[in-house]
Amino acid sequence: MKILLVEDDRALSETLGEALRDAGLIVETASNGSEGDFLVRTERYDAVVLDLGLPDGDGTRWLSQWRDDGLDLPVLILTARERWSDKAAGFSAGADDYVTKPFETGEVLFRLRALVRRSHGHSHPVLSSGALTFDTHSGSVALAGRPINLTAQEIRLLAYLMHAAPRIVSRSELSEHVYDRDHEPDSNVIDVQISRLRRKLGSERIETLRGQGYRVVAVETPA
Amino acid sequence: MIASLVLVLLVLPLAGVGLAYNFRDAVTGSFDQRLSSLLQVILVRLEQDPVSRRLDESLDLGDPRFSRVFSGWYWQVTDTRDTTLVSRSLWDQRLPVIQAQGVTLRNAQGPRGEPLRIAERDVRLPGYPRRLHVSVAASREELNSEVARFEWLLGLSLLTLGVLLLAGLALQIQWGLAPLRRLHANLRAIESGEHKRLETRLPGELRELAQAMNEVLERDERMISRSRDAAGNLAHALKTPVSVLKTLADRLPEAPRHQVREEVARIDTAVRHHLARASAAGSAILSGRVGLKATLAPVVDGLARLAERRGIRFEYALDESLNVRMDPQDLQELVGNLLDNALRWAETRVAVKADATSDGLRLSIEDDGPGMTPQQRERALKRGARLDERHLGAGNGFDSSPTSGFDSSPTSGFDSSSGTGSGLGLAIVEDLVTLYGGQLQLEASSLGGLCARVWLPSTASA
Repeated sequence: MKILLVEDDRALSETLGEALRDAGLIVETASNGSEGDFLVRTERYDAVVLDLGLPDGDGTRWLSQWRDDGLDLPVLILTARERWSDKAAGFSAGADDYVTKPFETGEVLFRLRALVRRSHGHSHPVLSSGALTFDTHSGSVALAGRPINLTAQEIRLLAYLMHAAPRIVSRSELSEHVYDRDHEPDSNVIDVQISRLRRKLGSERIETLRGQGYRVVAVETPA
Repeated sequence: MIASLVLVLLVLPLAGVGLAYNFRDAVTGSFDQRLSSLLQVILVRLEQDPVSRRLDESLDLGDPRFSRVFSGWYWQVTDTRDTTLVSRSLWDQRLPVIQAQGVTLRNAQGPRGEPLRIAERDVRLPGYPRRLHVSVAASREELNSEVARFEWLLGLSLLTLGVLLLAGLALQIQWGLAPLRRLHANLRAIESGEHKRLETRLPGELRELAQAMNEVLERDERMISRSRDAAGNLAHALKTPVSVLKTLADRLPEAPRHQVREEVARIDTAVRHHLARASAAGSAILSGRVGLKATLAPVVDGLARLAERRGIRFEYALDESLNVRMDPQDLQELVGNLLDNALRWAETRVAVKADATSDGLRLSIEDDGPGMTPQQRERALKRGARLDERHLGAGNGFDSSPTSGFDSSPTSGFDSSSGTGSGLGLAIVEDLVTLYGGQLQLEASSLGGLCARVWLPSTASA
């Protein structure tokens, strides 16, 4: 899961970014509206965390522009203002949820995961595909109830595939959403990581469609 | 007013007494003068008889009353040997005699027992051997009745005057103070929040007073909003650093983390407490009626957009005429939190209804989400009731593991993380409903999910 954090307060941006990275997210940051605007339009993110009090214009102004231009990704706004008229202004601009400062990191994480899940059409926090389950909150993977040990990167890969399932995910889409833009891998790295996942979960659970990409397949019995 | 009463009740009787006394004095004086001049006439007549040197018995003073028996008008001349010359009116009676060198005036009783005024003096006539004593008397009855009539008239007119003055005074108070009473009623209306300003259709000085008071009210309002803003800005400025501290604390080892979190929670509680107080101070005094639809419009517009993004049908129809006695911000807070929660849990629909009852406003917000069991509803309301204690106590009740509470259980009920970072959306709603003397109920909705019912009274609560 790759998110963009648009926050002008450097201390908050650093600490929150660090906390979200600890939770397994890929976090890119922008310190003002125009930088955030550029990144949103050029990169692929699963969600944006947008502070409303930005130095170059209110966050709602940037958000409105994104929505007007058809950018539909989930946006979570951060605001110090608790009044409903302020929250409502955020929603009017096209926000999907809000968190008021001072917040708990856990709350931001919870909201982000819920937003991403909902944007893929899932309402339940535990995604399942046959006997394979992925808990979006704890990030734990289980096969027929038995926990499976995966690396952070493997979890990110599987999480994206399971969110998208049963859709086919192209290799480029996967690299955009699962890797930091500064460390985008060549396709070989993705192949290697997919095959490692297959070894741990059973090869039939991740299907490769030549020329199209990957897909998680529901298989009931554990391999 | 008291001065006027003193004037009427004290000065008028005093003036009456003074006037009566002076009148009696003047009348008695002129009566005495008349008697004295009659005495003079008798003396002159006595002297005019130098030939006989005897007293003329046919002394005539030209007043027939001296001839009518016991008419009350008498004269008498005596000498030491009892040779007496009297008016016919005295008949066989005599006036009492005293020694009097000069002209003496005194009161005495007449032959009929009537009160008399007597003027008398001793005199020596040349050629007459003995000293003569001359008296003239007149009844005081006439004088007395004249004085009495005057006093009666005086009393009557003073009484009338007094009554008229008092009546005038009462009318003056009644009419003169009417604008003041209006002003008073006006002030009460402002106090109860029905009006924001005093009306200034008043007589001259009072209009200026009302205008001055309006200016004070305006200044108060400005000051309230300024201090509200100041407190708000301060609190908001603190929120970002508090967020940073909270996030940093998560990365510390167990022992210091706990300590830092506790301190941060204290800052957070203080900020919230003062922010809430600043905004409450403004709303408590001057909350008048607000239109439900117009006040909620910004909140509803925003949430309608959210509902659209989430693919939820948002059924919202409020009558223009509905209004409620509440601070606009509080109303937005109340409905916003309930709507936010409904939208969070709804599958496809959220419906809002409101109607006026005889004594208030009824509002219902329903969704077709998973809803809550009766036990969950009860617990949700109890959890709200504890908010106050938490605010006052050791700070942050929304503890260090926020994900544990609502993880993986969309049926667990009210989203405990909606609203503020540390508060509960429902608790805020409950607080507000209680503050305005209303009621909050959670029920199962006919749509399948939760139905939150709010009743708000139309009259101000204590």
